[in-house]
Amino acid sequence: MARVETNQTERRTFLKAAGVSLALPPLLSLDHHLGAAEPTFTWPQSQMKMVCVGNSFGMYPGEFFPKDEGRDYQLPRLLKPLERHRDDFTVFSNLDHGIKGGHFAVHSFLSGVKTEEAKSMPEGNISLDQRAAEHVGASSRFPSLTVGSDTGLHGGCRMSWTRSGSRVPPITSPQNLFRRLFRDSSPDAIAHEKQQVQLRNSILDAVYGEAKSLQKNLDGRDKQKLDEYFTSVRDVEKKLQQDANWLSISKPDVEFREPGFEGIVKDLPVLFDLILLALQTKSTRIASLEIASNRFDTGFLGLKSGYHKLSHHGKKPENIEGLLTIEQYQMTQLARFLDKLKAVSACDEEGTLFENTMVLFGSGMGNGNAHTNSKLPILLAGAGFRHGEHKVYPTGRKVPLSNLYLSMLQRFGVETESFSKSTGTLTGLEVV
Amino acid sequence: MSGLHTSMSIAVIGNQLRIIGLMILGFLIVVGACEAAEIDADAVLKTYCIRCHGEKLQKGERRFDQLRFPIEDNDSLRLVQEMIDQLVLGAMPPTKADQPDDKTKQALIQKLRQEATRYYETKQSSEGETVLRRLNRREYRNTVRDLLKLNMQMFDPTQRFPRDQTTGHFDNVGNSLVTSGYLLEQYLIAADLVIEKALSPASKPEIQTWEFRDDFEQQPELVNAHKRAHQSKFLCIHETINSENHWGEYAPILNFQEGAPHQGRYEIRLLLEAKNKNHPHPKSRVSIDKDEPMWLGIVPGNIAFGSLHNPQPFEEVLAKIAVPDGEPQWHTSTVWLDREFTPRFIYLNGPANARGNQSRLGLALLKKDGGNNNKFGNHYIAAMLEGQLPHIRIHEIEIKGPLYDDWPPASQTAILGEEPFAPDRLKQVVTDFVTKAYRREAKPDEIQRLLKVAQRSEAQGRTPYEAMKDTLKATMCAPGFLYLNEETESVKESTLTDVAFVNRLAYFLWSSAPDEQLLSAARNHTIRNPLQLIAEVDRMLTDPRAHAFHEGFTDSWLVLRELGGMPPDRKSFAVYYEKNLRPLMRQETQLFFRHVLEENLSVRNFLDSDFTFVNKTLAQFYDLPAMQGYDFQKVSLSDKKRGGLLGQASVLTVTANGIETSPVTRGVWVLENIFGTPPSPPPDDVEPLDPDIRGAKTIREQLAKHRHVAACNECHQKIDPPGFALENFDPIGRWRTVYGKSKKVDASGEFHNGDAFQDVVGFKEILLTRHDQFTQMLIEKLLVYGTGRRMEATDRPEMDRLLAELQKKNDRLRDGLLLVIESSIFQSR
Repeated sequence: MARVETNQTERRTFLKAAGVSLALPPLLSLDHHLGAAEPTFTWPQSQMKMVCVGNSFGMYPGEFFPKDEGRDYQLPRLLKPLERHRDDFTVFSNLDHGIKGGHFAVHSFLSGVKTEEAKSMPEGNISLDQRAAEHVGASSRFPSLTVGSDTGLHGGCRMSWTRSGSRVPPITSPQNLFRRLFRDSSPDAIAHEKQQVQLRNSILDAVYGEAKSLQKNLDGRDKQKLDEYFTSVRDVEKKLQQDANWLSISKPDVEFREPGFEGIVKDLPVLFDLILLALQTKSTRIASLEIASNRFDTGFLGLKSGYHKLSHHGKKPENIEGLLTIEQYQMTQLARFLDKLKAVSACDEEGTLFENTMVLFGSGMGNGNAHTNSKLPILLAGAGFRHGEHKVYPTGRKVPLSNLYLSMLQRFGVETESFSKSTGTLTGLEVV
Repeated sequence: MSGLHTSMSIAVIGNQLRIIGLMILGFLIVVGACEAAEIDADAVLKTYCIRCHGEKLQKGERRFDQLRFPIEDNDSLRLVQEMIDQLVLGAMPPTKADQPDDKTKQALIQKLRQEATRYYETKQSSEGETVLRRLNRREYRNTVRDLLKLNMQMFDPTQRFPRDQTTGHFDNVGNSLVTSGYLLEQYLIAADLVIEKALSPASKPEIQTWEFRDDFEQQPELVNAHKRAHQSKFLCIHETINSENHWGEYAPILNFQEGAPHQGRYEIRLLLEAKNKNHPHPKSRVSIDKDEPMWLGIVPGNIAFGSLHNPQPFEEVLAKIAVPDGEPQWHTSTVWLDREFTPRFIYLNGPANARGNQSRLGLALLKKDGGNNNKFGNHYIAAMLEGQLPHIRIHEIEIKGPLYDDWPPASQTAILGEEPFAPDRLKQVVTDFVTKAYRREAKPDEIQRLLKVAQRSEAQGRTPYEAMKDTLKATMCAPGFLYLNEETESVKESTLTDVAFVNRLAYFLWSSAPDEQLLSAARNHTIRNPLQLIAEVDRMLTDPRAHAFHEGFTDSWLVLRELGGMPPDRKSFAVYYEKNLRPLMRQETQLFFRHVLEENLSVRNFLDSDFTFVNKTLAQFYDLPAMQGYDFQKVSLSDKKRGGLLGQASVLTVTANGIETSPVTRGVWVLENIFGTPPSPPPDDVEPLDPDIRGAKTIREQLAKHRHVAACNECHQKIDPPGFALENFDPIGRWRTVYGKSKKVDASGEFHNGDAFQDVVGFKEILLTRHDQFTQMLIEKLLVYGTGRRMEATDRPEMDRLLAELQKKNDRLRDGLLLVIESSIFQSR
């Protein structure tokens, strides 16, 4: 046992020396192993957050894309609700994934890859939010949150996908979401989780010891290679410590009445509010919101026809008006969300949430009436980039939308040179 | 030698160490015989070379003015190697420059060779060794499968591992296989999954039966029409897999979506009916093969991955059933199901685009009958009732299981042996497992350290059985399991121990752990006995595990892992999806490789052959004579176009971008993977070729323009010709004589040295005259794949020896493989 102890001490020292910062206020001693040293906690360096909002039928192009390029464009009707934020967002024309399939390709919005292509892609069809979530790991309680509707025509938005090709199903009910975020799990569930953390720590001790003894017989380059393993052990230890701490910390208290579940249309403002609270309480740094539904209640917006039917407006003015009503509603809620982001800060963080959050709005459908997946409606607001423009990209040699996602990922802090079908970061988008 | 000389003009100076031109026949002998060569190398270089490769100009990023003799480092050696190659090839100095006379040239070559040899002799290299190498994803998966005797049809513990970085398309090079915190965390999770799977269910479960009839719901898009047309009395499969709309593509049993209660084998009985096989629709609309029965497939599904009606990560076909025409008939198959997996049914040779057909036919039917389409969906009902579209009906389903051939199952005896677990067996169980998992003897201190995990678990209140499982999980995260064993007898020695040698051999040919027979031959020190080694290699190649070699090596060498990465356009290349060509393409190349290997044929077959492997679908695709059945068969090729790798759709598709072909991409691929001489990447300031269709210029015309720029021409004179030769193949490998409607394809070309060809047939004839260069490239690729490291300049003499040996054996592949295995490069760390 003595030797194992030595190793632990050694690693503790390393943890301290590296100035490990954990995204947690208190550290509760779980066992001697974790509680051995009491590091001081500070928030991690990057505070960048990401919110991705999507719908399944796109935005009526004639009223979404401004006529003029650059800064001094006239706001089309669908951007009107965002007027007060016009310096804080960018609209992009002519970005897409080069994919076809109408409704059956909408799910590629954040991944750039259709499910049937996933097996032949090196990173499958992992979506933007999940790629960022891999980077966040356990530094927040929920690496990511996917909320909104899990149904809709041909499955709905289906926006979030893991590396392994599984859909990350959204939490549909605001009530469930609220409970997940702000109500503690059962003592039994917590005890089980704690046991898992203990086991993993004891596994790491054993394998670390073996690696140490192996190292003695290695020379130069092999030794260097094994260093990767040691670093990995330390990284996982840090993460386990974070996991353990989350288990020991009560979920945050918020002044917010527990909501019910009334369907995506009525719930949309509540879902935005809960995302805001999740970011504010640092429960997560990444949220995705899917706007679709098999029962999309257009009646609430004073309409008689369904969302899908209106999206096939056939250029009839009254249908277009109906569609615009639904889409304006979404933009109004988005604008309201941006208002709130500008009004609050995350606990003990500099600046407003808005200054630390990228907000992407868009769809995997370009023109619902024509069932096209090209020229997607894409709008990016908030932190990370210089905004205020309508950026128009060439129509001939298409720029992949993944390039924007790569820029976002890098700005988020992910060290990667590629994402999906990217050919590089997005040109013309200035990082701030 | 004249044939060899012609082969040389296309070798290029590249920027990588492994770029090696043609091996020089009898190199070692020549060196010995010409000791007397005396020239002032510096002066000759200055006269003929330094103008372009000196202080002012560094063409091809090479400069020789700083070269000093004797050579003292590997960089200089590399330069000298390249100079020798270029001189022998006659590629340098370039034709327009001043030429040394033959005598001077020969003397310079000899001088350079002497220098190289001297350096080899004096060098005490610590390089050219394999860097500590972890299992890559494939190897991890296979090792787990063999260690624990697991069924992996719907289980992949590496699913969330990051993709492995590659070096020159090889996914098993130690240097580039990184370990990260993220990966280690995935190892922890994977170990948990693997051990829990191996040991479950804990006790033999009761056999249950499920029966499904009458209440068959289809997917949401079809549910109403199906209910109203057929009262949900049966399940329908309307189209083949890979469709765009997933319109009745998968038929899951929604009343069984929670799936199997335990892993095991399940007997599935199906009452099946082949409906409307002899449909009246034109083939252009409804493309099915009326000469074959309808084929039903069973694939796994799991609601946790998302909708059962859509593609999912695990889709291996677990069983195939031919559904005969006529009345419904019962069929029984027994398939493995993991816990929570449910069977889904597919129509393997069904039509594509069911949605479009139902829609079109339905609307026409309604119109004809004056029917009512004011309710959306009525046309689907009409199509289902009267459309006469081919589909498979499943009337009844019975499922029985789980069934076990043995109890306890193999995965449990792999850990516990024949006896059940008891606390006093802990140490024995752990020791046995560690020995197998580490693929070598476990050291006592290793066992002790792992047993501490059990002690701590028990101290925290877990049962001895759970504590044992925890220890096994720890074993699977330990370096001994995760890293390949590259031990030598002592630090100073470079020869692998016998145990490390069989490990290397097993990961070479099986991408998995050595089995007991190999390990025992290592322990007895008989494995390096030449006859026994040959016998073992033969045994390994006939083992099903050798498929990992056929697949892994062709994926790495020919870059086939990336096939499908640029998906062909659905509209122009619908057949790629409708006939699910991607796996067939890969299979052809793997079977071809396997055949050349198993029959010990000449590697020249890769350049041109009079046979290949196809099934009915692929034969049709290639316009070969019709054949029966969907199993692959060896067929003779009477037409010279298709023979060899360059006629295979896998290669032709992976070298196109899914929309159009580029002679540049294909040319670079040929230089890399056939000639072994990859070109330098384009200089940074060169704009990539921007296809401009407006001017209606052919790619050939655009490239011609490109070659007028001297900087481009340097490489493109080598890249473009092989690319042109393949222009008769479209982006998915179909033969074409025109682009679009009428623009004629011109597949002719000319090498720098004047060798000209009219099309791919002529091109292959030239290739065959240069087969030594190909053989050398193949030896190098085998060595890289086998050792998990790049070849260095210091490996050259041994590689040259291998080539000379193999030439004596008529370039036969399996002989070559054995030479590689017996080589000092493979036998050393």
